[in-house]
Amino acid sequence: MEKIANKVRETARLALANGEVNKILGWKKGDFWYDSYPAFITEEEGTASLIWDSFCVANLSKYLIEQLKEDIKVGVFLKGCDARAFNQLLKDNRVDRDKVVIYGLPCPGMIDPEKVKKAGLAKGLLDVQKSEDEVVFITKEGEQKFSAREFAYDKCLTCQYPNPVVYDELLAEEVERNNTTEYFYQDVEEIEKMSPDERFAYWVEQFSKCIRCNACRNVCPACSCEKCIFDNSKANVAGKAKVDSEEQFFHIVRAYHVAGRCVDCGECSRVCPVGIPLAKLNRKIIKDITEFYGEHNAGVNPSLDAPLETFKLEDIDPFETRAKGGK
Amino acid sequence: MQRIGVFVCWCGTNIAGTVDIDQVKQAAEKIPGVVNVQDYQYMCSEVGQNLIKNAIKEQKLDRVVIASCSPRMHEATFRKAAKSAGLNPYLVEIANIREQCSWVHKNKEEATEKAIALVRAAVAKATLNTELVPGEIGVEPRALEIGGGIAGIQTALDIAEAGYKVDIIEKTPSIGGKMAQIDKTFPTLDCSACILTPKMVDASTHPNINLYTYSEVEAVQGYVGNFEVTIRQKARSVNADKCTGCGICTDKCPSKKAESEFDEGLRKRGAIYIPFPQAVPNVPVIDREECLKFKTGKCGLCERVCPSGAIEFNQEDTLVTQKYGAIVVATGYDLINLDKFGEYPYTEHPDVITSLEFERLTSAAGPTAGKFLRPSNGNKPKKVVFVQCVGSRDKSSRGKTYCSKICCMYTAKHAMLIKEKYPEIEVYVFYIDVRTPGKNFDEFQRRAVEEYGVNYIKGMVGKVFPEGDKLQVHGVDALSSETLIIDADMVVLAAATKAKDDAQELGRKLSISTDANNFFTEAHPKLRPVETHSAGIYLAGACQGPKDIPETVAQSSAAAAKAIGLLNKGKLVNNPCVSQVDEQICSGCLACTKMCPYEAISSQVIEVKEQGKIVKKTVAHVNEALCQGCGGCTVTCRAGALDLKGFMNRQILAEVDAICL
Ligand SMILES: Cc1cc2nc3c(=O)[nH]c(=O)nc-3n(C[C@H](O)[C@H](O)[C@H](O)COP(=O)(O)OP(=O)(O)OC[C@H]3O[C@@H](n4cnc5c(N)ncnc54)[C@H](O)[C@@H]3O)c2cc1C
Ligand code: SF4
Ligand code: SF4
Repeated sequence: MEKIANKVRETARLALANGEVNKILGWKKGDFWYDSYPAFITEEEGTASLIWDSFCVANLSKYLIEQLKEDIKVGVFLKGCDARAFNQLLKDNRVDRDKVVIYGLPCPGMIDPEKVKKAGLAKGLLDVQKSEDEVVFITKEGEQKFSAREFAYDKCLTCQYPNPVVYDELLAEEVERNNTTEYFYQDVEEIEKMSPDERFAYWVEQFSKCIRCNACRNVCPACSCEKCIFDNSKANVAGKAKVDSEEQFFHIVRAYHVAGRCVDCGECSRVCPVGIPLAKLNRKIIKDITEFYGEHNAGVNPSLDAPLETFKLEDIDPFETRAKGGK
Repeated sequence: MQRIGVFVCWCGTNIAGTVDIDQVKQAAEKIPGVVNVQDYQYMCSEVGQNLIKNAIKEQKLDRVVIASCSPRMHEATFRKAAKSAGLNPYLVEIANIREQCSWVHKNKEEATEKAIALVRAAVAKATLNTELVPGEIGVEPRALEIGGGIAGIQTALDIAEAGYKVDIIEKTPSIGGKMAQIDKTFPTLDCSACILTPKMVDASTHPNINLYTYSEVEAVQGYVGNFEVTIRQKARSVNADKCTGCGICTDKCPSKKAESEFDEGLRKRGAIYIPFPQAVPNVPVIDREECLKFKTGKCGLCERVCPSGAIEFNQEDTLVTQKYGAIVVATGYDLINLDKFGEYPYTEHPDVITSLEFERLTSAAGPTAGKFLRPSNGNKPKKVVFVQCVGSRDKSSRGKTYCSKICCMYTAKHAMLIKEKYPEIEVYVFYIDVRTPGKNFDEFQRRAVEEYGVNYIKGMVGKVFPEGDKLQVHGVDALSSETLIIDADMVVLAAATKAKDDAQELGRKLSISTDANNFFTEAHPKLRPVETHSAGIYLAGACQGPKDIPETVAQSSAAAAKAIGLLNKGKLVNNPCVSQVDEQICSGCLACTKMCPYEAISSQVIEVKEQGKIVKKTVAHVNEALCQGCGGCTVTCRAGALDLKGFMNRQILAEVDAICL
């Protein structure tokens, strides 16, 4: 990864130097080993601080909405899921393709700090290095090697698009990952197996944790409205009171608002500070859409219309298909 | 605070019988903002309307809620009343306590409770109602007729006579429809061609009528007064302007294997053909599936023999787009396919025929020159059996549940036509019931029995067995319970009528609905029988349900009157309840543009000021003239940037809240 990191810095430096772009969106290191933060760089010197490591999980594409309001050209580093997010923003007319230069980064999968902490490896950790399938934890005492899969984010374990689906320049060779589709919907199937009562109880409990920090919404590349309906007091749909029904309403409405547009980047689950498995809800809808209308991977091909926004005569009637209310 | 008046209608006992009016009134009085509550037996009557008008003036009401029947019935009435009292008509709100309450409930207590909830919801919405002002739209002074049967021809002639332009789109190469195939017509037995042909000629020569034969509706856009229809004129391969109709090509064409549609397959026709001698226009058409030139590249004989150089093999379909103020649908009907009726060996035996084939066999212009002969051997039949209700009033999936309405009469006609020409032929008719309501209809059928000695047998035919050169018809006489076997020479089946196979597809293009049997649905079965639910689109003839010619013509003239009334207005007020975009909130995802069934939403790039900077952004834009106020976009828009005037999201939510109270 370090080799590619060098390329990241060099690419950014050159792009700013020759005026190809006015601004670079990348990542830089924070205080801790797991802190890889978004960085906005406009000066050539600044590019030295750019990094590319196993914690560059933050999706940079959504920042483009704000950045592009200025009359500038922006260079952005995008991983596989980030690129799908970019395409979705493009489809929703939220970004202008002509004002963006995309540097694609094939992604080997990101490491989940929570898993590292859980395994008791976080203490005294100085650095984490990742090669192909291995991850090396470096402390004062020495090095420990593990299989990278053990510490990857759950969402990376099922990722079908590690390579960017859109870019101007690809900074590394495409990666191959043996993420079989077989257990792609494992999380959803666990929910589907529950009885309706169990399922209801499950979600009631999950949503009751919500503190309405709006992190899920703010990170979501499909939640790109100018003004969210929940922020619009005139719309009269959202109450301010902290009651369970408000939270349930918020999350269910959000799931429907991103239905067919969710790029399955899993960021909602990742950023939720209280651990609500929000992506499960979206993935359930992705699974249903696939079963009802055929496979539709939002953000992969922005010229395709989302099945829920179009109507074809041969479309199935979900009410008939699922009339029994089972799943 | 608003000053709302609530008016509770009894609708005679329709509402008052199931809903406690006094309780509704008492509850309404307690709703904040309501200052006046009254009730009356018939609010829609003049007295009732005056009650409302006076209250508006005397009580200075600024909102009116009427608890009565469906807004479909009387919203317009009450809006008009409010307007005449000086109140903006869109400040009137209806609580439907009849169709949605009293008619569907039996328990008075529960119905009353529901009526109160509905009134509460209507008041909640009315509180948020705003004044709306409709705009005006022009009306294109031209009508379109889809289908050129007797219905289409009659409507077109009536509209043309009133001074408006009419175009007829006919799918087949000639106008005329089924009536052109019929020999003589009940109940007078006058010759069908003699009364139809002059009308066909009138239609083709009328200066206000323009025919698009061999054409179909490709797409329909727009709305009442301003439809935009794209017509596909199929390639005829013959230049209609050059062709003189001499028919040399049709004689000389060596490919004569196709079955004549007009003669119901009882005769062959050429690849280049004129469907029947009186066809309008009298211009042949090349059936490209049959034509040797198209199939093999060789032949081209017609091109060589045509004295006017009218053959054009390289013609292509052409698309014409035309604006219309009104559309009349008159696409007619068909007979059902008899494949599944194995008990009558229709598909196997040439002497088992349908009623429409019978018409061709008795017609002087038909394949036998009017001689009634057995298709199998060309001999004169001795016994003929008619079977009525083949697939009509049939609950099984192969048939139709409804009565085809015309078969009793045409079977009596057929029986008499045989007897008239050949008194010696024995004629039997199997029937379930004989249904002959209609002027001079029963007399007509009785004549068949009494004067012509046709044997009417109440009962169904169980099976028809071909045996030697006979058809053994096994039936039961339901009155005597006797089993009958008739050694017939021919069996004529009164196959059920059915809607056109493409009715649904055409309905979708026009945004008009079809019923369970695919016949087009009228706006009201009693009071609006020729209108559809889509303003400006009317129905005529058998496409709306089985009909005979007198009924078809009557309905056609009715549809014409409606269309003329519309065209004559010149201007229409449009519905102000259209969608609007809040450009500040719209983020330009344009999901609404894909959703809108009327293509009323497009995109535009606007400049907005954001934190001191001018920023360009894409937003949705509603074309108010195209918007039909369906509200689909408002629920598609995640951010709620779209809102429907008169049905704002806030109003709907207020209603829901009020109901859930
Ligand atoms: C055997 C038989 C005998 C009958 N005898 C009598 C009788 O003696 N007396 C009597 O009163 N009635 C009789 N009828 C009934 C009579 O045929 C109908 O009442 C009459 O034909 C109805 O006219 P129409 O114009 O509505 O439909 P049609 O005659 O069916 O005409 C419809 C026209 O529309 C065209 N069309 C269809 N779809 C489209 C499309 N999508 N686009 C463009 N054009 C289209 C068709 O090609 C056709 O030309 C008889 C019917 C049958 C079956
Ligand atoms: S070219 Fe076709 S239509 Fe003309 S004569 Fe030959 S087969 Fe008939
Ligand atoms: S309400 Fe919206 S979807 Fe319906 S016609 Fe109007 S613009 Fe189109």
